[in-house]
Amino acid sequence: MIEVENLRKEYGGFTAVEGSSFSVPEGEVFGVVGPNGAGKTTTLKMLAGLVEPTSGSARVAGYDAQDPEMRAHLGFLPEESPLYEDMTALSYLEFFADLYDVPGEVADERIHDTLDRLDLDHRERRIGDMSKGMTRKVAIARSLVNDPDVLVYDEPASGLDPLTTNYIIEFTRDLAESGKTVLFSAHNLFHVESICDRVAVMNDGRIVARGSVEDIREEHGRTEYRVYTSVEVEGSVRENGRYRRTVESMDAVEETRDLATRAGGEIEDIQTHEPSLEDIFLDIAEESPDVEGRP
Amino acid sequence: MKADATLRIAKWEVTKNAGQLDRRTLAAIGVVLVLIAGLTPLVASEGIALDDGIYRVGVADDSPYHDPVANDSTFVAVDPDVEAFQRGEVDVLILSDRAPVGARTPKGRAALSELGSTIRAYNDEVMALEPNRTAAFPVNVSLRYASQNVSVAPSGSGAAGSPPETRTPDDGEVALGDGGGGDGGGGDGSGGPGSGDGGGDTASGSPGAAGVPSVGSGSSLFADDNVGGTPADITPPFPFESLVLAFAFVLPMNFVIQAYASSVLNERVNSRGELLLVSPVSRGDIIAGKTLPYLLGMVAIATLTALGIAGLTPAGGDAPAEIASTVAVSVAAVAPIALLFLACAFVGAMFARSFKELTFVTVALSVLLTSYAFIPAIFTDVHPIAAISPLTLVVRTLGGGGVPLVDYAFSTLPLFLAAGTLFALGAGVYREEDMFTQRSVPLKFLDALDGQLSGPRSVAKLSALSIPFVFVAELLVVALLFALPVSVSIPALLVAIAAIEEVAKSVGIYAGFAHDRFDRSLRSALWLGFLSGLGFFLAEKAVAVAQLVGLPELALGRAAFGTVTGLGVEASPLVLVGLLFAPLALHAVTAATTALGASRSRNAYLGSLAVATLVHAAYNLTVVSALG
Repeated sequence: MIEVENLRKEYGGFTAVEGSSFSVPEGEVFGVVGPNGAGKTTTLKMLAGLVEPTSGSARVAGYDAQDPEMRAHLGFLPEESPLYEDMTALSYLEFFADLYDVPGEVADERIHDTLDRLDLDHRERRIGDMSKGMTRKVAIARSLVNDPDVLVYDEPASGLDPLTTNYIIEFTRDLAESGKTVLFSAHNLFHVESICDRVAVMNDGRIVARGSVEDIREEHGRTEYRVYTSVEVEGSVRENGRYRRTVESMDAVEETRDLATRAGGEIEDIQTHEPSLEDIFLDIAEESPDVEGRP
Repeated sequence: MKADATLRIAKWEVTKNAGQLDRRTLAAIGVVLVLIAGLTPLVASEGIALDDGIYRVGVADDSPYHDPVANDSTFVAVDPDVEAFQRGEVDVLILSDRAPVGARTPKGRAALSELGSTIRAYNDEVMALEPNRTAAFPVNVSLRYASQNVSVAPSGSGAAGSPPETRTPDDGEVALGDGGGGDGGGGDGSGGPGSGDGGGDTASGSPGAAGVPSVGSGSSLFADDNVGGTPADITPPFPFESLVLAFAFVLPMNFVIQAYASSVLNERVNSRGELLLVSPVSRGDIIAGKTLPYLLGMVAIATLTALGIAGLTPAGGDAPAEIASTVAVSVAAVAPIALLFLACAFVGAMFARSFKELTFVTVALSVLLTSYAFIPAIFTDVHPIAAISPLTLVVRTLGGGGVPLVDYAFSTLPLFLAAGTLFALGAGVYREEDMFTQRSVPLKFLDALDGQLSGPRSVAKLSALSIPFVFVAELLVVALLFALPVSVSIPALLVAIAAIEEVAKSVGIYAGFAHDRFDRSLRSALWLGFLSGLGFFLAEKAVAVAQLVGLPELALGRAAFGTVTGLGVEASPLVLVGLLFAPLALHAVTAATTALGASRSRNAYLGSLAVATLVHAAYNLTVVSALG
């Protein structure tokens, strides 16, 4: 449903995105993560046809991303969605439905259904009088007025309170389950980890890791063994009356056992720690120089 | 562009912005518009009588002063009561067989002075009714309004020691005093009856004719002809109607473009317009849809204003068809001004970084455009420069004159083309990558130009597209300079025009170099310069509209456009062909010079621009000298 091949975007002498390639099949939720300035938003905007790639190609729903026809099949949610404050939620959504050539009755039903699902009651209220969470829900509803096949969401839950954030993440998951292809970027890696089938980690304009969360964890993450001993051994730290030595292999665990025995002690506990996506992301970011150092 | 999408966006633009206005504000706007449309012609025809009845004059009914006092609304005639005068209840007292006496107050002195003027005017009117005109007006004066650039041979009329000129007034002259057959010491009385026909006649005449304004003692758009005929009726050619029309038609546009520009900039604030860009409509649809309501609004206001003027004054004629025709021509003439106002506002809103900056940009543009429309229209039927402003067409049609298609094309085509170019320029940056960035206005301007470039050949296209803008700018310079003495205005004009054209030819190339679009080699710069010069030359030749209506007959017109057209040159065919193609060489050389500078740095570009301007001005001076 989404095909990206060697996508590249330059602004003057600055390269925002360099050689990105990935594909997202129908019905999949694909996450794009990375630090600020990694090129996530530029990538998403190129997919939405807002930004013209310098080179490479991006196809969405079978259309070139720059083809205006593609837009009818896309629901795009920008990171910031300042709406027209003087319109009511309903009139705003009706306008966009009209723009997408959605017949009046279908539009009415779809808009009310979506707003019901989003639990948004004050539909005749001026958007300018709504809370941030409510306006975000209106923006999400707008991305669905044309019943798109592909949804591209840039930080859908950015800046919202935890309750609304969870609601929107759940809603996004529901959309994917209903057959829509979802590509979204997020800072909160917990959300990405919880709903994405696959992710791409971007840094400095490049995709530095790609695959399912498990694949990435396997490739970039290291399982840690926290070995707690009764005596101090080399490389251990005192923690709650005992000593903890963190190692990354079973051989090292055996080595710790030997050290403890020689010191007259023993192993009291061994805990296995699987790294989160956030841990992996931080590792990857540290490995890549100048993560935040670009102009 | 899709018409239905455009209309949807237009409808949305109206409903969206209607939400910003409460009913009271809407009602207030409606009242203001009605007042402007309705009261302007009334005020113009009736005048504002703020001083009605402010002075009380004590005068007996049988006093010879009674009639002048009673006929002037400034005064209220009361019984000549001395006690009332002493109490200060009467400002001027006129007792039988005595001169008027004013109260010893500022108001009394003012009343006395005003009464003096009233009596003089009354006496003039009485004398005008005198059957023996020569007895009434023993001195006959002929006035000739001359075009600024036409040498008027000194006549003996009025000259000390010379006999009074005795001849029939020509076109463009006003005969003051009938001299109808008397034997007074003045003229022979062969002049036509009365004054005031100058303006009426010339209103329908050729724009190039140096006529008499339709004001003062002449016919008026707003009032029936009145009969003057005394030296007191000599008034300067101050076209009050033109000022009123400029006010009535142009002023509302300034308000509309503020709303329009704010709406466009609003799309750029916080990336608000991003969602429209990602919807299945083109940016052309969006721009047209957002512009349409404002254009229609401006046309509606112009229609109401024209209807008000044509329907409530004698200007529009009596028959409905005549009024409809007058209104249609007026609106057709005002429409390109409205379009250019909107185009400028659009570009300003696309370039401005904040509402504060937008205010500065739109006000500057408003002043510039109002000057362009307003200043020349003041000289309707007085000076050929008036032909450049569409408002002149409005003045003419309201004055009962016809508007030939050629005149319409001359004054409106540059505006249509300039508006189109500006919209294209703004549309070039109506995209995500440029719309939401915070760059200075000059950099945005360069971005917009770069948006129109694709390869070296597009430089020629860009230069050609600049022609309408150049034409309008040059006409504006002509309009601003024409009142100066020729010895000052022509050199200033030659340099100004050279600078305008050199900027037009080179700024696109500079934008391309600034965006690293072109190779900075010598060969590339020279090639780009040649292409730019060629594009400019071809378009300039194609759009030498100035020839159509005789503006080159004006000295400044020859200076401005003679170098392009070669008009007025009496020389061999070989020289004429040389003159025809010499501009190509000039444009190519100067554009190559600036392209070289642009390929190096900004300072080098500015330096080369100065050099090219001087070379161009020297060329213009040579050609103008050849034109004589």
